[in-house]
Amino acid sequence: MKKKIALLLMVSMMFMLCACGGGAAQNANQGAEQQAEWAPDGPVTMIVSYKAGNGTDLTARILAQYAEKYIGQTIVIENVDGGSGSIGWSKLAQAEADGMTIGFINLPNFNSSIVKGLGTYTVDDFTAICNHVTETSIVVVRADDNRFETIQDLVEYGKANDGKLVASTNGAQASNHIGAQAFANSAGFTYIDLPQGNTADELLSLRGGESDFCVVKVADISGMQTEVRVLASFSEERLAEYPDVPTLGELGYYDQWLGSSRCIAAPAGVSAEVVAFYENAFKQAMEDAEYLEAASSFATDYKNAEATTKLMAEQQAFTEGLSDGFWYE
Amino acid sequence: MLETLQLMAAGLANALLPMTLIMMFAGVTLGIIIGCLPGLSAAMGVALMLPLTFTMEPETGLIVLGAIYCGAIFGGSISAILIHTPGTPASAATAIEGYQMTLKGQAGKALATACWSSFWGGLLSCISLYFFAPLLAQLALKFMSAEYFWLSLFGLTVIAGVASKSLVKGLMSGALGLLISTIGLDPITGTQRFMFGHAFLAEGINVTCALIGLFSMSQVFILAEKKIVERARAAKFTDKIALTKEERKLIRPTIIRSWLIGNIVGILPGAGASIACFMGYNNAKSFSKNKEQFGHGAIEGVAGSEAANNAVTGGSLIPTLTLGIPGESVTAVLMGGLIIQGLQPGPELFTTHAEMTYTFFGGFVLVQFAMLAIGMLGCRVFAQISRLSDAILIPCVTVLCVIGSFAIHRNFMDVIVMFIFGLLGYFMRKFDLNNAAVVLALILGPIGEKGLRNALRASQGDLSVLVGSPVCLVLIALCIVGIFSPLLMNMFEKKVSGTTMAEADAELEA
Repeated sequence: MKKKIALLLMVSMMFMLCACGGGAAQNANQGAEQQAEWAPDGPVTMIVSYKAGNGTDLTARILAQYAEKYIGQTIVIENVDGGSGSIGWSKLAQAEADGMTIGFINLPNFNSSIVKGLGTYTVDDFTAICNHVTETSIVVVRADDNRFETIQDLVEYGKANDGKLVASTNGAQASNHIGAQAFANSAGFTYIDLPQGNTADELLSLRGGESDFCVVKVADISGMQTEVRVLASFSEERLAEYPDVPTLGELGYYDQWLGSSRCIAAPAGVSAEVVAFYENAFKQAMEDAEYLEAASSFATDYKNAEATTKLMAEQQAFTEGLSDGFWYE
Repeated sequence: MLETLQLMAAGLANALLPMTLIMMFAGVTLGIIIGCLPGLSAAMGVALMLPLTFTMEPETGLIVLGAIYCGAIFGGSISAILIHTPGTPASAATAIEGYQMTLKGQAGKALATACWSSFWGGLLSCISLYFFAPLLAQLALKFMSAEYFWLSLFGLTVIAGVASKSLVKGLMSGALGLLISTIGLDPITGTQRFMFGHAFLAEGINVTCALIGLFSMSQVFILAEKKIVERARAAKFTDKIALTKEERKLIRPTIIRSWLIGNIVGILPGAGASIACFMGYNNAKSFSKNKEQFGHGAIEGVAGSEAANNAVTGGSLIPTLTLGIPGESVTAVLMGGLIIQGLQPGPELFTTHAEMTYTFFGGFVLVQFAMLAIGMLGCRVFAQISRLSDAILIPCVTVLCVIGSFAIHRNFMDVIVMFIFGLLGYFMRKFDLNNAAVVLALILGPIGEKGLRNALRASQGDLSVLVGSPVCLVLIALCIVGIFSPLLMNMFEKKVSGTTMAEADAELEA
């Protein structure tokens, strides 16, 4: 009997080993010769710097599922979470530049992690492949808050009661905090920020009446249209989903795009063939009809390697430029 | 109303499809396995299975995820009871009494109690899910920063209950836990606190990691310290699985109270099963007529903790489905699954998608029965583990601890943290400090800190915001009751029963 139980314990341990050992081993393709047509010769590891089930993880898994057809190999998603994403990005930066390991980079959280000194990497430690998802930031208030019918109402109130308006954010110096700050700075008022740590709690704080307004991404409020009112968007053109909602720029406030992007990148030093291969494969996947059907709940936005490289650099410059003058405290 | 009832009945019938039933049993089994392995949490289990459900019918997929969720929350109690290793933080409080029962040779009974209570906790939580979901969801909107501060404070009063031997030592342990909870990025300003340049500490000490160290690794050290002999208790193994009528009657009020606690805690975002189990345990103790048994294997303690953590499952689905606010990390993953299936949380789930929603609810009810069946069948087998000699158990638990802590982030630093907490836990137990209090404070510290600081930020330092709402006042009243009731009860008891407590303590030492 005892032996059986011991065996049972052993089996359960084996199970755990399997559960956490996935995606650990594959490097046998050192000699992948530099041919014009490069293709991976084994499973491709794709690092996601957040927990399984997180927003990035879910969109990554959908892309991976349809991209396998064009890559010709299995894509193994490896969730390396912790350190506000920096653990995963460190791992990606340090991975072998043989094209067998790629990963997701989340802008601007990635840039914040560099500015905050959480990782030892810089933008130069990565080679951009393409952009997958882009989400634009918007300013929202409660739908039943009749103080603020328009963005001008909010700004006027903010100016008349400087430092009194309360805005919940998704964390200290996180994407939506940057958004609220950019908006308030450009409109010329100050406010109290309540960092909530994540977007769900940020919106809960707004809906519960604790905060007056907040900045979120478009997809965050899907299903809540009756509860929140969108006042303005951080885009250069009006959003297709909200044709009646003005952009901040057209009213003379913050006039650049702001939001978040999920890019795909490889460690620096991968060959141009590798980048071209993945760029092409992911482009095809993102245009795949079946993919588009499965991905209807989020905003797929393919950008090529060149545009993505530029985006990463721009976001980095922007985040670094958020000096003491930007943060009013 | 009639239409709703029809939908409910149709949903239950849909959930009875053979394929769904098979997947349900598989899900519960998998959930129990994941739950009882330390380091693999319910959230991880659900997240790992999520991609597989994309290919299933939405209803079946959701039921499978629900089955894993419930199974894992129950599964955590198995290792908590048998080897003092809570498989998930949700079972931390179960280890307190459950392991004592194992030491007395009642492992089977403890497991059966856990299973029975989990079943009822889960089943009762379905009632509120079915009938009061939209109503109860409003509760989540009543909880803002100030309320969370008081909630965490109320949670901390549970320390008075878990620290059975010395209140001062309990408070010391709690303070240590609070101190440890400040490690990581400051939630308000984002500055690094006590991280010493280690990025892996940015999100703080992982609770599961600390839990494995404090409960399991320290247990290994304690076991290893003794001369390794064949367990004496193996001989006096009184393996009665079935609960007697009296026992079921004894734990019935406990289960009902724990259901209410678990349900409410589940509805509140951010709280979750790990807090509910402590509150359920504490509540069971406060109301028990056999307080002297607590700390020495009280069946009510196991029931209180397990009914509460399984009642969280139904509770935390309420704000997830109605408001799109996940009550805890598992439901956050579950919500991700819903959205991918094209189902947006909100009122539409109960109108346009009512058929699917009620099928899911029906499945959730059936999952509880599947859990009861598998759990009861498994109890006898699982209980045999308590007969293993330390020579087998020590290396096995050590391996589980290492793998479990590694599995959280696949980061070896977590293993080191786990060992540090193992040593800490060992010395704390030597000095009669309280490991459960550290874990509790570690979970509640960040909630309370963020709540207090944000409340005062929003009010610009005006303290009256802390007493500004009815919910706050209720929570304050609960805190006061929580702090003073154990003291009063103890005084009262000493008058009544003389020195039984002291005697009982002496017995435990021996």
